Amino acid sequence: MSSRLPAAWLLVPITGAVVIFILAPLLVTMATSISNTQYIIFPPHGFTLRWYGNALQNQDFRSAMWFSTGLALATTTGALLLGVPAAFALARCDFPGRGAVSSLLLSPLVFPVLITGVALLQLFSMLGFDKTALNMLIGHVLVTAPYVVRTTTASLLLADITLEDAARTLGADTWCVFRRITMPQIAPGLAAGALFAFMVSFDNFPISLWLADAQHNPVPLLIFQMIASVFEPSVAAISTLMILFATAVVLILERVGGLRRAMAM
Amino acid sequence: MAAVPLDTVTGMHSSVAIAARRVHFPRRLMAMALLSPSMLFLAMFFAMPALGLISYSVLTQAPDGTVGLPLTLEHYWHFFATPLYSRVLRTTIEISLITTALAIVLGYPVALVMARSSPLRRQAITIIVIAPLVVSVVVRTYGWQLILGNGPTGILNWLLLNCGIIKSPVALLYSETAVVIGSLHVFFPMMVLPLASALGKIDRHLEDAARTLGATAWRTFRRVTLPLSLPGLTVGCTLVFSLTAGSFVTPAILGGTSGQMLGVLVEQQFLIVYNWPFGAACATVLVAIVLGANFLSVRILDRRYRCAQ
Repeated sequence: MSSRLPAAWLLVPITGAVVIFILAPLLVTMATSISNTQYIIFPPHGFTLRWYGNALQNQDFRSAMWFSTGLALATTTGALLLGVPAAFALARCDFPGRGAVSSLLLSPLVFPVLITGVALLQLFSMLGFDKTALNMLIGHVLVTAPYVVRTTTASLLLADITLEDAARTLGADTWCVFRRITMPQIAPGLAAGALFAFMVSFDNFPISLWLADAQHNPVPLLIFQMIASVFEPSVAAISTLMILFATAVVLILERVGGLRRAMAM
Repeated sequence: MAAVPLDTVTGMHSSVAIAARRVHFPRRLMAMALLSPSMLFLAMFFAMPALGLISYSVLTQAPDGTVGLPLTLEHYWHFFATPLYSRVLRTTIEISLITTALAIVLGYPVALVMARSSPLRRQAITIIVIAPLVVSVVVRTYGWQLILGNGPTGILNWLLLNCGIIKSPVALLYSETAVVIGSLHVFFPMMVLPLASALGKIDRHLEDAARTLGATAWRTFRRVTLPLSLPGLTVGCTLVFSLTAGSFVTPAILGGTSGQMLGVLVEQQFLIVYNWPFGAACATVLVAIVLGANFLSVRILDRRYRCAQ
């Protein structure tokens, strides 16, 4: 750390403390999941993987896993279908009110998601929409599409536009330019956006809370219900599986396009 | 309008300026065709339900459960006049403010380290700070429940008892403090990321110049670094404050009755009490707080932007 910063000697210990603070709840959950006891105790006693066996055989968990994965895949597709064209319009077309349109497209990120969910519940019940899975898909696309818009717009603005000009001058048509020039340049950004949308949907709680039912119960809701009713380490085992899954996604994200770009920060 | 802080995060202000130079399909029709699916989707499933919710909050619920005219402000009156509910409002604002303040105090040093370290160290810290964002809030909050557990089996209590710092277990869970700790953990990255990005953009020569001219390290920080990082700080504060105010999982698991927040109140009114108009009024109050905070931050950023010109 350079001498330009005041109290530079304080920065490293504070950062260390923050890192411990960030990792503590994750590590504690992992440690608890291997405890050979019927109840949760710290420090963990013995070592067992039976809570993982229990979790993987748990019918509720398995169906929640399938449902969440399917929902997240469908959500990612929907978010890409809506978000990518919108990003192209924002980054490549000239039209009045572009700033306002961009703010509008991102506005679901500013509105409290919990309230977006309850507003959708009210709309669906008023209109008599009773297809739970479809309702949840709509809600999840609503809160994930803005992320796709953000990452795709950012990569389009970073892509070298003179290459597109050159291709066009050399006689390539619009579709060819898109496929051969633009697409390869924005592919990492698109992949990062898609993966991020997948994770946001997979983890989503505040939309699912309102729209789910017993037949369509995603993993975060299941864990929430289990926290209140199950007191053995199998909750910790399921949570650990979620942590490992998320860690894998983070590492892939970092490799694909850089984490901070996926966050568009 | 309200999304401007996020635009600033993405650097879209500057990117829009760049985009103006690289316009390639000046055809407005094309833009309309590309934008209409998402705009229609937003109008149908975002604007309409949001307006519906607000209008619900001024309707009357008949004894048989149907909701309709006459228009009334009774739900809002009920909300602000009942001590139970106004306490939830106060708790919500209090928890959000304290969480934001703590996020500044802890996030600023981390952002400085992140912006000024070697690439390898920076990458490691970035991953550690961002990674928890991808882990479900429910899982992270469960971890805090294990740590803060009341009684000797709570991990923090176990640690403190074994170190001899306390004689009997302290009650941490189901309190405002627990919610603040949980929220800080969940939203900490939202403070660090915009801050680190603002700090990274500062021209280091300015700090060098101040030092050469005889300013102490503190004075340089106070007069050069801090003012230049204020846009990032404003965005971070807005994000942490609004996300904490609108949270549900953390207060529901860690808050108990003394750490109850507006989000939990809205859920109770809709899913347990079935008083939808009153629930809609509570939700509208929450939306007003969050949009108010965003509006304020846009004003602050705008004024700074104009000063800079």
